[in-house]
Amino acid sequence: MTMNYSIDPSAATLLPLAKKEGIATVWDRHKAMQPQCGFGQLGVCCRICWKGPCRIDPFGDGPQRGICGADADTIVARNVIRMIASGTAAHSEHGRHVALAMLGVAEGKLPDYTIRDEEKLRAVAAKLGLDTTGKDLHDIAGEVALVTLGDFQNQDHDKPCRWIASTLTEKRLERLAGLHALPHNIDAMVTQILARTHVGCDADATNLIVGGIKGALADFDGMCLATELSDILFGTPQPTVTAANLGVLKEDAVNIAVHGHNPLLSEVVCDVAVLMEEEARRAGAGGGINIVGVCCTGNEVMVRHGIPLAANYLSQELALITGAVDAMVVDVQCIMPSVSEIGACFHTEIITTMDDNKIPGATHVPFREPTAAENARQIVTLAIDAFRRRNPQRVVIPDAKQTAVVGFGAEAIVGALGALNADDPLKPLIDSIANGNIRGIALFAGCNNTQTTQDSSFVTMAKKLARNNVLLLATGCGAGAFAKHGLMTQEATLEYAGDSLKAVLTAVGTEAGLGGPLPLVLHMGSCVDNSRAVAVAVAVANRLGVDLDQLPLVASAPEAMSEKAVAIGTWSVALGIPTHVGTMPQITGSPAVTKLLTETAKELLGGYFMVELDPDKAADRLLAVIDERRRGLGI
Amino acid sequence: MKKLLRENAIIFSDPEKCLGCHSCELSCAVAHGGGDLHAAAVQGQTLRPRNRVVAAGGVTMPVQCRQCEDAPCAFACPTGSILQEEGRVAIREKNCVGCKVCVMVCPFGAISVKAEADPPTDGRTNRGVARKCDLCAHTGREVPACIEACPTKALSLVDLEEFRQSLLEARVAELAQSHRYLIQRKVKP
Repeated sequence: MTMNYSIDPSAATLLPLAKKEGIATVWDRHKAMQPQCGFGQLGVCCRICWKGPCRIDPFGDGPQRGICGADADTIVARNVIRMIASGTAAHSEHGRHVALAMLGVAEGKLPDYTIRDEEKLRAVAAKLGLDTTGKDLHDIAGEVALVTLGDFQNQDHDKPCRWIASTLTEKRLERLAGLHALPHNIDAMVTQILARTHVGCDADATNLIVGGIKGALADFDGMCLATELSDILFGTPQPTVTAANLGVLKEDAVNIAVHGHNPLLSEVVCDVAVLMEEEARRAGAGGGINIVGVCCTGNEVMVRHGIPLAANYLSQELALITGAVDAMVVDVQCIMPSVSEIGACFHTEIITTMDDNKIPGATHVPFREPTAAENARQIVTLAIDAFRRRNPQRVVIPDAKQTAVVGFGAEAIVGALGALNADDPLKPLIDSIANGNIRGIALFAGCNNTQTTQDSSFVTMAKKLARNNVLLLATGCGAGAFAKHGLMTQEATLEYAGDSLKAVLTAVGTEAGLGGPLPLVLHMGSCVDNSRAVAVAVAVANRLGVDLDQLPLVASAPEAMSEKAVAIGTWSVALGIPTHVGTMPQITGSPAVTKLLTETAKELLGGYFMVELDPDKAADRLLAVIDERRRGLGI
Repeated sequence: MKKLLRENAIIFSDPEKCLGCHSCELSCAVAHGGGDLHAAAVQGQTLRPRNRVVAAGGVTMPVQCRQCEDAPCAFACPTGSILQEEGRVAIREKNCVGCKVCVMVCPFGAISVKAEADPPTDGRTNRGVARKCDLCAHTGREVPACIEACPTKALSLVDLEEFRQSLLEARVAELAQSHRYLIQRKVKP
């Protein structure tokens, strides 16, 4: 058994410290969990009813059916689509939350929020087919919010969700409709998956997987609306220079780490912190208040406001081991419950904020949108109080900090390209792809996983693809990995990009006023922002009159872990994008499901899953797929 | 010098700790298949464990060969395929005709006669040979796969010399304890 840790230099500093102090981290717990259950790894363990657990013998000698008669194919398919349902639920609750907040703003009930991007609001309204002539901003916001909430309410099965219908290419919509895979209502899709996987229901593996794909497309719908409405409320990302890794913590400041996924609270914390700087100084923090990000809340505030990113998923605990974090403010998703235990080893306040996401041992500050600023003030006060208790002798901030140029949403990318050709911004990109200067585009998304040395697969694959002139986009913890390892800099472009890619990035960057090339990897935002990459791809496809499954576009989640990643990967495949997964998915116990997702999907959808645990080989496979697509387009 | 004769090592199963998860069976099958779990599953290989989790009398525990010192299977085998070898009872699979006499005489039901994979019968043979726990000899492992796989540490490889030594020490400690107690109470043993 080999133990995988991290290539993050801050881990090298802090893990020995954790060991010395007897603090267990995620890697210690991973080790203690070995070996992990083979039935679970294969996905052939069913716990859906209380006659179980049932297990199928994968080698044919033992039981081939569970007590109810479900075989390995049924069990694996049910298990995997339940993961999709959970991922969809997570993203969509986030989306609903933002949509309701926007309705509240429109109705004038939420004084702590405003419409920060009026232009985007109008663009979104137009995209959704709303007539906005003569209407004031709040009326438009109200209509957009109501239409959006309609995607959670529509009961007409033949009418697809508004967001998805207005986002994809015509051909893709027809193809998905032909498979009966277009969702009509996000909530209904989650419910439907849970209903059809109940004991004694859908047992046909193919039918179950198609149901899962439909659920995953509801996840895509939820992500689109969450991302776009967040931009309207909090601002659309624009390129900005910031920093990443734990070196962004400051010894002389009150360090507040915002962690989780939802910008509704973190945005207000950022606003309020500025007003409370003086209070922090009076408490002895000469540097005032220093807000840093962790995980996707971190990405959200990073791409919008240039707030530095301290850690991605697997290093969230390391942030606490520095002894320099005074408060870790968490909302939803990807928060390890261990943070409260580690926080208790220090002076750190772990503050939960959402009533449906509490952690034992943490301080709970119930967050409500109408009192957002007041709640944020409570939180910052707790952080300042904690700062007074900080033991300076225990502060170890690693000397690990990289510059990161971030904030490349769809608008920013099109904007940068517009500097080359204002009339037809996509033309420079399309020309570069056509003449081979850009061989293809790869979107890196997804998590960190203890089964992979933290960040190493991301970095290995990105360097290889960049050398082969593939344009790289990233979101979520993948983006965090690239930012921490200095791949979101102009220097990285000069060092790692192939000659033709380097030329394109330099031309665009210089023209866009960056005084040099664009960074090697473009940071598009949090994991809910994967829809931004689709927006660019759809624009290119529409401009060329082709569908998404013809573009030399691939996706990769080399260190995937969460149920959200399962949902994202599945819609990526459903949109026609070949999608690499670097973690062994829990489906190999069913030959039927494995074949369906890795082979049959190609005929049905154009996209398909590729499983490859070795990042070097994975990069080769992605290059081969890109070349195959190029040949298909005759370029 | 005469080689010190040691008793065969055994795998000890603790029924108090066994949760009946079958992980030991799975890892045994994979270890003897020579590949990894996912590859075996994807390729649809037929692999057979050499141990079996049995539930009876309110307890669950895996059962495997006891590596008997005076093994009935070795005596019963008409082809002489079963013999004592390097601290365990070994089966020379190439000499085995699959007659199942060993199965009938094994007091623990630890031997099965099946082909490792599922090759089609060729009319003359089903290719079934006697198989049982071989303590993962020749699999390149230091510790048998089942022991590594057990999540509750219910399985252990027992070296009988060490085991007896601990047993003796425990008994002596117990005796000493009661002796002290009796002295305290001024009771003559």
